[in-house]
Amino acid sequence: MLNDKIKELVEKCKSKIAEVKETSATELQKIKSESLGKNSELANMMKCMRDLPGEERPKFGQMVNEARKLLEEAFAEAESKMQEKMLHDKLEKEKVDITLPCDMTFEQTRGHLHPVSLVTNEIMDIFKGLGFEVLEGPEIETDYYCFEALNIPKNHPARDMQDTFYITENILLRTHTSPNQVRTMKKKQPPIKMLCPGKVYRSDDDASHSPMFHQIEGLVVDKNITLCDLQGTLETFAKALFDEKTKTRFRPSFFPFTEPSVEVDLTCSNCGGTGCKLCKGTGWIEVLGAGMVNPKVLENCGIDSEKYTGYAFGMGLERIAMIKYGIPNIKLFFENDVRFLKQFR
Amino acid sequence: MKALLSWIKDFVEVDVDIDTLCQKLVGIGFEVEEVTYLGENIENVVTGQILKIEKHPDADKLVVCQINVGDEVLQIVTGANNIKEGDIVPVAKHGSKLPNGASIKKGKLRGVESNGMLCSGEELCITDDNYPGAEVYGILILDKNTPIGVDIKPVIGVDDYVLDVGITSNRPDCQSILGLSREVAVALGKMIKIPEIKYTTEKTTNIKDYVSVEVKDKDLCPTYLAAGVKDVKIAPSPTWMRRRLKAVGLRGISNMVDITNYVLWEMGQPMHAFDHKDICDNKIIVRRAQDGEQIIPFDEKTYTLDNDVLVIADNNKAVGLAGIMGGKNSGIKEDTNTVIFEAAKFNRENIRKSSKKLGIRSDSSARFEKGVNSFMTRLALARALQLTQQLDCGICIDGMIDISTETCDKTKLTFKFSKIKRLLGISIPKATVISILETLGIKTTINDNLVECVIPEYRDDLERDCDIIEEIIRVYGYDHIKPTLLNKASITCGGKTQCQAEIDKTKEILLGLGCSEIITYGFFGKSALDKLTLPDDSELYNLIKIKNPLGEELSYMRSSLLPGMLNVISANQSRSNLNASLFEFGKVFKPHSLPLEDLPTETETLCIGLYGNGNFFKLKGIITAILNEFGCELDVVRSKQPFLHPGISADIIINDDIVGYFGEVHPNVAKNYDLGQTTYIATIDFDALSKHFNKQITYKAIAKFPAVERDLSVVVDDDVAVGDLIKASKENIYILEEVKLFDVYKGNQVESGKKSVSLSFRFRSENKTLTDNEIEKNMKKILGALQTKFNAKLR
Repeated sequence: MLNDKIKELVEKCKSKIAEVKETSATELQKIKSESLGKNSELANMMKCMRDLPGEERPKFGQMVNEARKLLEEAFAEAESKMQEKMLHDKLEKEKVDITLPCDMTFEQTRGHLHPVSLVTNEIMDIFKGLGFEVLEGPEIETDYYCFEALNIPKNHPARDMQDTFYITENILLRTHTSPNQVRTMKKKQPPIKMLCPGKVYRSDDDASHSPMFHQIEGLVVDKNITLCDLQGTLETFAKALFDEKTKTRFRPSFFPFTEPSVEVDLTCSNCGGTGCKLCKGTGWIEVLGAGMVNPKVLENCGIDSEKYTGYAFGMGLERIAMIKYGIPNIKLFFENDVRFLKQFR
Repeated sequence: MKALLSWIKDFVEVDVDIDTLCQKLVGIGFEVEEVTYLGENIENVVTGQILKIEKHPDADKLVVCQINVGDEVLQIVTGANNIKEGDIVPVAKHGSKLPNGASIKKGKLRGVESNGMLCSGEELCITDDNYPGAEVYGILILDKNTPIGVDIKPVIGVDDYVLDVGITSNRPDCQSILGLSREVAVALGKMIKIPEIKYTTEKTTNIKDYVSVEVKDKDLCPTYLAAGVKDVKIAPSPTWMRRRLKAVGLRGISNMVDITNYVLWEMGQPMHAFDHKDICDNKIIVRRAQDGEQIIPFDEKTYTLDNDVLVIADNNKAVGLAGIMGGKNSGIKEDTNTVIFEAAKFNRENIRKSSKKLGIRSDSSARFEKGVNSFMTRLALARALQLTQQLDCGICIDGMIDISTETCDKTKLTFKFSKIKRLLGISIPKATVISILETLGIKTTINDNLVECVIPEYRDDLERDCDIIEEIIRVYGYDHIKPTLLNKASITCGGKTQCQAEIDKTKEILLGLGCSEIITYGFFGKSALDKLTLPDDSELYNLIKIKNPLGEELSYMRSSLLPGMLNVISANQSRSNLNASLFEFGKVFKPHSLPLEDLPTETETLCIGLYGNGNFFKLKGIITAILNEFGCELDVVRSKQPFLHPGISADIIINDDIVGYFGEVHPNVAKNYDLGQTTYIATIDFDALSKHFNKQITYKAIAKFPAVERDLSVVVDDDVAVGDLIKASKENIYILEEVKLFDVYKGNQVESGKKSVSLSFRFRSENKTLTDNEIEKNMKKILGALQTKFNAKLR
């Protein structure tokens, strides 16, 4: 008997909800407070409970609560439908004729290239003039191209030089642009003069490292290429990128894919070599790694190492931009704050 | 690699100051990362002898001492009570400095003049490893034979430098004092002095009576040597040894253990010392662990092993993780009587893998990973026995167990002398080449054009001619290289690929229209993609996962540039940057299968984002400008992309090919990215777009005949697209050169739900002047088409 009464109440309320116009939020709110509020029939029923015999009370209470829950759900559903509808209507109203002509009134100020692009372009222009072609490679690489073919075998300590992000055992994010040396040499025989800019990834994230950054790689393979050519090329590059007075210095180093290998320092662009904070008083700034292509790498790529020699170099582009523009922190490059971006013309 | 200068001096005469030494090392390829002077901040502290101790007249806990510091007698008041007359102690004189930052000045203590301070070991920052008794509470009492009035630093062994030298991975032979000393000798042009390693054994004993060794996995252990010491007296090692170990970061433990550490550091050969009585049946077995076998090494944690891990075992149990750490069950103890020394070479890759897998790294595993040399194992074991005797730790048992599959012969390398010039580009005199290589220990002869080198046993890295040439030039000096600019190389053309040129051109247009370039990470988090409210089956969810990401937000390769762009816009908005027009060129990654079996497709993608002063038609203008530059016509249809406003968005269509979409960001998506200002975005598959670029330029004659213009206003239903009207007008009318919209009117003058559209038409014929009649005919045709297609009414 009571059960039926509650059922009837729920049904009555639900039909009221259904009758509410899809857009009348106030009406829905009104019905909600009438049905569930302090003076609603449901609340009154709860008040009547004390008149019931003790053993019936819990069951009755449970029924009333269930009814309340049902109604609350019904209201919630109606409310969300209503919101959806209202948004839909709003969007429908805002609809424009997308075929109308373009608005061609633009700001008078020109946009700005990202500083990494700026230095990349500058470097590419320098090397294009020397006959280098720009060839890019994939960011997701195989272990073979990124390490194996470059004379960095699996489990070799040289792998510790670069913390690698792996996707599968044999597929990884390239840690340097050097795999493109292999890709280029496998594709064509000398003469090769190649430049490869691109994103590289290393599992390294702290104040002075970013897990993604940019490198540019250079490779020359031909007859009669010597270490003197490497020095001459890099000196030309340094003078063009910084200024005529810039000097280069080679320091012995090690990379598995070049032999001999060198670190290349440039005279500090800030103090001109007299020593300052930027160069820690040395007058020199370490800018890139380079060397003569290891004959093992040439052979891995099917190039006759008795006939040809080559050199390769690679550098971090953010580092170049930081030196050139005095940017103190690598993180700034990827925050892309417009106040940062607009400084690069 | 940390090296103590005085230790290096055991092997080579260093007659230059520390700065010069460092510079010279850098010059031959050894970067000195840090130089530490051990006596840093100890100034004006000398040895002094206490002549007299008297009670302080006004303080019970203080005494007044008269100290002979050589050239004078100082009165010093102290509170220490471990001193007596005649003791020699460190005296910090007036104006002295101590490593804890204190500077000592003379003054009065409770009315009595005090001209300095007596120092404790702690105040000098030293421990028992530096000087016996340094850790006692109170003043450091020096040995009674200590000279009086001398600088304290040499007395406590801190007048010395520690060099932290970066060793490149091709030079594992330099991961030792000896190896580094060889390079110091090269840098300074000196000869290396290798002291003779001598020791005596008890001839009536034989190592074979103590232990036998079986190497089951020779591939993982090419060399295993063992020697023994009996009647061992475990004690602390002498101060000189403890000082050296401390300086390179090790703690003194006991003589036998310290000897293994000392040899590790000096020779670069990890060693281990077993307690003989813990080796069951006197049998050492080098074998792979059984799957599930457990061991507790010195770090006292329990490790469960598998078949890839190499262990040192006896007949019952594993007694050590080969090359990584000894077992707790067989280490040196106070009561150890007989010690078995191990010096072995373990497979580099295997140690690296095992140490990684188990998560244990030790000085020993670090050396093995870099690579040790079988030749050095013998030298190291002999050195350990020599030190045992020198330190009087016990009696060396006769003989050595030597199981080796590697020969340690010197290898020969020959190459043409002309190769040097061929690679370096400069000529180096033969005599210079020979003398450089000799200082490196490479015996060299040059006959005619042939260089013949004998490579020392410890230089595994010298495999071919270019390795030798590098040795020559790094010692000869890179400053001898004379720059040339590829003057013997072939002429090549160079330049950019077509795709790069197209990207450059596109960037130019974008810049011209006021857009700035951004660069975001190539990876993103799934949560950033979720914010686009895409359906679960969207192809953007075919994500390539990184196995070892640095965090959720860097864990997948991006399938879209939108999350990156929207995050950047959101950050700019939250920093109150009022407006921005941004673009990014970057790769998005599409796998062919998941998990990846081959390399995914990397698609060059352009993403544009505007807020503040942008709107839909500006964005459309930008896209149109790019397309026009490449001779393409933009076609638009309403986009169904869930992240775009359904009424203010469009798919970008070129020749019926959807290459992207643009529009206002859907309000729900805007909320997800926390965008307060209305934002417009476009994303374009640039590889797909560039296929449509009209690359061929062919000249078309300039029109000779005049154009005629006519206007037309029609009233149509509000939802008729103007673009469709224009398209319909153009159909089948060949002399129609251009149609332009010049007004759309809605309001009182037209019926509600309708709009008036005013178009202007430009007609021109290629071969004649058009007559009014012809124009009218065509205008009628146009109106007719608009009437039938769109129910348009002439206004």
